[in-house]
Amino acid sequence: MPTTLTEHLRALTNEALADLLRHRPDLVVPVPADTEALAARAQARASVGRALDELDEFTLAALDGVRLTSADDGRTSLDAVRALAPEHADALGGALTRLRELFLVYGPDIELRLAGGVADVTSAYPAGLGRPAAALNAAVATVCAEPARLRRELLATPAPARAVLDRLAAGPPVGLVSGSPDGQPERRAAGRRGRTGGPEPDSPVRWLVERHLLAPMNAPGPSGVPTPRSDDRYEAVELPRELGLLLRRESGPLGALRPYAPTVTADARKLTAVDSAGAGQAMEAVRQAEALLSELANEPAALLRSGGVGVVGLRRLARAIGAPEPTAALLVEVAHAAGLAAESDVPGDRTAGAPTLFLLPTPAYDVWRALPLGRRWADLARAWWSMTRQPGLTLERDDHGRPVNVLSEGVERSSAPAVRRAALATLGALPAGVGPAADELLALLAWRRPRRFAGRADAFADAIADAAKLGVTGFNALTSYGRLLLADDDTSDADPLGVTTTGGASADPLAAAIAPLLPAPVDHVLLQADLTLVVPGPAAPELTAELELVAEHESGGGANVYRITDATVRRALDAGYTTADLHELFAKRSRTPVPQSLTYLIDDLGRRHGGLRAGPAGAYLRSDDEALLSQALLDKRLSSLGLRRLAPTVLVTAQHSGRLAHALREAGYAPIAEDASGVAVPHTARARRAVGPAGPVRTAAPTMPALTAPLLAGIVEQIRRGDAQSLARRAPAALRAAQGRGDSGPTAVQAHADAMAVLQQAVRDRSHVWVGYVDAHGATLSRLVRPVSMGAGYLRAEDERTETLHTFALHRITAAVVETP
Amino acid sequence: MTGGPLIVQSDKTLLLEVDHVDAQACRMAIAPFAELERSPEHVHTYRLTPLGLWNARAAGHDAESVVDSLLRFSRYPVPHGLLVDVAETMDRYGRLTLANDPAHGLVLHGKDRAVLVEVTRSKKLAGMLGAWVDADTIMVHGSERGRLKQALLKVGWPAEDLAGYVDGESHPIDLAEHGGEHGWRLRAYQREAVEHFWAGGSGVVVLPCGAGKTLVGAAAMAVVKATTLILVTNTVAGRQWKRELIERTTLTEDEIGEYSGERKEIRPVTIATYQVLTARRGGVFTHLDLFGARDWGLVIYDEVHLLPAPIFRFTADLQARRRLGLTATLVREDGREGDVFSLIGPKRYDAPWKDVEAQGWIAPAVCTEVRVTLTDAERMSYATAETEDRYRLAATARTKLPVVKALVDRHAGDQILVIGAYLNQLETLGEYLNAPVLQGSTTNKERERLFDAFRAGEIATLVISRVGNFSIDLPEAAVAIQVSGTFGSRQEEAQRLGRVLRPKADGRQAHFYSVVARDTIDVEYAAHRQRFLAEQGYAYTIVDADDVIGPPLPAPDSVD
Repeated sequence: MPTTLTEHLRALTNEALADLLRHRPDLVVPVPADTEALAARAQARASVGRALDELDEFTLAALDGVRLTSADDGRTSLDAVRALAPEHADALGGALTRLRELFLVYGPDIELRLAGGVADVTSAYPAGLGRPAAALNAAVATVCAEPARLRRELLATPAPARAVLDRLAAGPPVGLVSGSPDGQPERRAAGRRGRTGGPEPDSPVRWLVERHLLAPMNAPGPSGVPTPRSDDRYEAVELPRELGLLLRRESGPLGALRPYAPTVTADARKLTAVDSAGAGQAMEAVRQAEALLSELANEPAALLRSGGVGVVGLRRLARAIGAPEPTAALLVEVAHAAGLAAESDVPGDRTAGAPTLFLLPTPAYDVWRALPLGRRWADLARAWWSMTRQPGLTLERDDHGRPVNVLSEGVERSSAPAVRRAALATLGALPAGVGPAADELLALLAWRRPRRFAGRADAFADAIADAAKLGVTGFNALTSYGRLLLADDDTSDADPLGVTTTGGASADPLAAAIAPLLPAPVDHVLLQADLTLVVPGPAAPELTAELELVAEHESGGGANVYRITDATVRRALDAGYTTADLHELFAKRSRTPVPQSLTYLIDDLGRRHGGLRAGPAGAYLRSDDEALLSQALLDKRLSSLGLRRLAPTVLVTAQHSGRLAHALREAGYAPIAEDASGVAVPHTARARRAVGPAGPVRTAAPTMPALTAPLLAGIVEQIRRGDAQSLARRAPAALRAAQGRGDSGPTAVQAHADAMAVLQQAVRDRSHVWVGYVDAHGATLSRLVRPVSMGAGYLRAEDERTETLHTFALHRITAAVVETP
Repeated sequence: MTGGPLIVQSDKTLLLEVDHVDAQACRMAIAPFAELERSPEHVHTYRLTPLGLWNARAAGHDAESVVDSLLRFSRYPVPHGLLVDVAETMDRYGRLTLANDPAHGLVLHGKDRAVLVEVTRSKKLAGMLGAWVDADTIMVHGSERGRLKQALLKVGWPAEDLAGYVDGESHPIDLAEHGGEHGWRLRAYQREAVEHFWAGGSGVVVLPCGAGKTLVGAAAMAVVKATTLILVTNTVAGRQWKRELIERTTLTEDEIGEYSGERKEIRPVTIATYQVLTARRGGVFTHLDLFGARDWGLVIYDEVHLLPAPIFRFTADLQARRRLGLTATLVREDGREGDVFSLIGPKRYDAPWKDVEAQGWIAPAVCTEVRVTLTDAERMSYATAETEDRYRLAATARTKLPVVKALVDRHAGDQILVIGAYLNQLETLGEYLNAPVLQGSTTNKERERLFDAFRAGEIATLVISRVGNFSIDLPEAAVAIQVSGTFGSRQEEAQRLGRVLRPKADGRQAHFYSVVARDTIDVEYAAHRQRFLAEQGYAYTIVDADDVIGPPLPAPDSVD
């Protein structure tokens, strides 16, 4: 009968082994050398943690059931677990099947065992129950040993004390003792240090401790598990398991169980309605992003020394796009992640204390602006999908009470893509068109992935809110095109640099899916007597370019409203349009008759335009004597000055006044130099662009290789071969191989990861291990030791031959192989 | 995409393409909750405002129907965020209600406990709320009813006022409708306006100038059948009301009192001017007793958009009486639309100008701006003038005189009003046109004489100052010529346009001219006013003075 996981795995059929690898694909990165390495890795904390993260609340409760029912030798049975909650027995059986698929629990029905590592990565209190009384305190154990007495004591408990017990019974079973008069044990709140300890006299907690119903403890250490304390200066109390079970007799030892996901009450809308609402929001998001970037082009946002754009800058951007600040923060982050905006040096202000870095649109922005609406949205949506940022953190306070700025380090969250994926996947798993309210969806997420969700409720809420703002969801339901994002990660392999998402012409499925929902560009306008001009839809880029010159943008959205004013007509005339050009432009673009007032306005302004002329000149020459000026103008010796007559009494030259005066004197004139005042320097404004990355910044999510059947079969075969080899080889040889001195050994990284798994297992098994390591001089050595503990970057192990305790820095360990007797 | 007539903008404006086949249906659907902001010829602009949405909510529309209308008529997908915003805004109205509790009197009742707690913590409501009756109800002193509603609107939780009204002292009033050739009946939209008002209890009816607001007031009195206090802008308007009431209702002259600077009569129906009510002596309002002089069953506010601030304060204390506001526009240049909403009541009826005109009740008008080129001397004095004198100089340029004369001559035989703001200019015009001048210093008696003569056709041309802006009735003025104004006031423009929009006996076209001095600030102000005209859907044209005067071309110098 196999007892260890290694033996168990070795006995599996190839198909069953392949199934395990399919369920836990991280086990094959990199491919383990043999079954032993596979088993070690399957029980390593990281891998177990990853597997648990994907389990729902009920399956985790079933796992707690296994832990609770395990005897001292670590065995339990299916029936024992099912008996914990007879009303949910079948569901528990199903959950156990799932756990066994993952090999978190293994063995036959009558002899179930918990895989190693599970206890390390889960709470010290399975199902929220305390430790057995025997492990806590002798006096408590005595009370708990007699069920009848325990029941009597419980019945005699006064109400305040009973409330304390009920709270602890609901889990977690440890409470910090507070000094508050009502004696309620405080939950594991931080910041209780520095107190002298001990509860108030007459508090219910003290009463319970004195009756030995609660065990007095020290304050929990970093591990979260307190140690017993005997005097009355205890800082925490723990509810013994026996009493906890008694208090839970109504709901069962595992507490209230929810075998099925919480139901969603929202009715399904038509998917077309959802898509339409989402597409409307998508249009809005693109419009806002464009407005934001054009505002940045006009006036770049200064970046703070501490990183990011400050509150004032963000407020300005929010005002410019007519959206609340959180939306502006989201769009800034998305535009940055999409490579449409980047930090750049702006030439100009060099005064001390002036900001040196600014946020500016990149050249990619100019390309992006000309793309069809659907493509523009798809670029933003993809950037959002993969960015490791949580814009919802903006404007919150950080640990030091300072506001977190957009684009600063404080917004970085490496888990953000996974959170988004989990949120949308859960939403996508509901029937199409069902849009639960945010709190319902959060409750569902909390049930489905409790370990991922714990402590990240805000991140999930932000992800849902962001999805709504970007139009990935509509009426809270996942849109048909938003669903494509979930399937989108495959493209990251084919196109790691994101080339096709910005410039390429290849069909983008996301853009193609949303395009039919978005309005087609419009190339005409409606002109009205109040001198407004309505583009009844998204304007074609060339139309926008024309209108931006001759009119002022007034409102955007489904359509664009522009207003023609004196100033805008003048601006067009300044830019070189003639009145005839303007008449023609309006006549050509307008579907409605051009109002008489506009025609009049253009003609009236055209009449006055150019009444004043401005131009550059280096110096002037004036005289009341017109003849003298004519003489100077025609003088061949002065021809190099390029004199030009502006008025009968004024000549100008491009040369500066010193040169002019000098030349005149050379030629025998007697000029008097005058002070220059107010010479206009022509200034042309140039659009500023940052030098940014060529494409959107995409962080490649660590992806698991797609495990196809042939690939799996190959991996399994490789492991089997490894088994055969390791049987044939002695351990030090395997170690040598692992250290790279043998033939075709594993890579260093792989060897190190395997070594850690082997060592963790060895600590648990208290078995002997060959450890290969690099000493302080760079020499590789090996030693046969028995590991005692692992943690904080060090391995402590006994060398039984020399009877000394060695400490190895983990990063120096290159390989570890279990000694084969 | 439905291809509908409506386009939703991000700034919560709605663009309605009027030539679309569904435009009329769409207008009917969105009118209850969106305010018509501009109605030029092709695309009308409506705006979604919290007040508008609450007005709709008060009229019984729910968020679902509003969202449905937007989705049904929108040409493009509507941003989800905007729909959520609409629903959330509408949801704020009616969470709190003011009601009469048999045991505790006036109470504020919260359908949502959290909201009730939130408002009790608000500093703006400090001292207005009494003791808690139960977890959802707070006692309110009756005298705080108005101020509480005002404050609740400010904190964004407008309360629904279900506390009811006192009946007031009953008084028999009936409409004297009769058929026949010279008979009259209440028009359909007037009847509808009164029905909406009565159903709502209190509120504002929006009708364009000349659409018969006085009759709506009279019909409302006939429904309420109780003593009525009518507040009007000035004495002349008050006499107008009196005349109309005697003619259109069963009320006799003895039943109607005038409470003005001249007379202080208090009768079952009393007409008081804003001016006398807001008159102060030693910092104290001396005529406040009027509000308590009788047990009024109805208070009518004429020209709500001009209601002076102190009247709002008095109105806050009148919340138990039925209130009817009458106006041509809810736009107040001081931005106190919220006070109108909370103190007088939500909008109960609104007829767009153009629609009323289409029904033939007001005269179609042609608006023309005439640009006058100043003489060189005038230009020079304009160029060198101080900024504050510039408008006066431009507006009162003598060059305008022959143009006005030419316009008057062109419309010989019509009743013409010449409107201006500067008295010197008006007097000059009076002499030049040989027409009487009506100004602030003209006595009421003289005013009425001139009006009567004008109405009778004895005087063809009348030159009037700013006093003519408000609520006088000149049914046969077919032409208005404006030579100077109060800068760019849109309200003034609406009033002046109203002068010529009264229905003409023969359905002739009305003309509205503005004479402005080219290349000066006068044009800028005129542009601002014209924008208002164009937004109201009145096409206007701009012509040169030379085109008006026509050949032979008079040399400008010959005028001086």
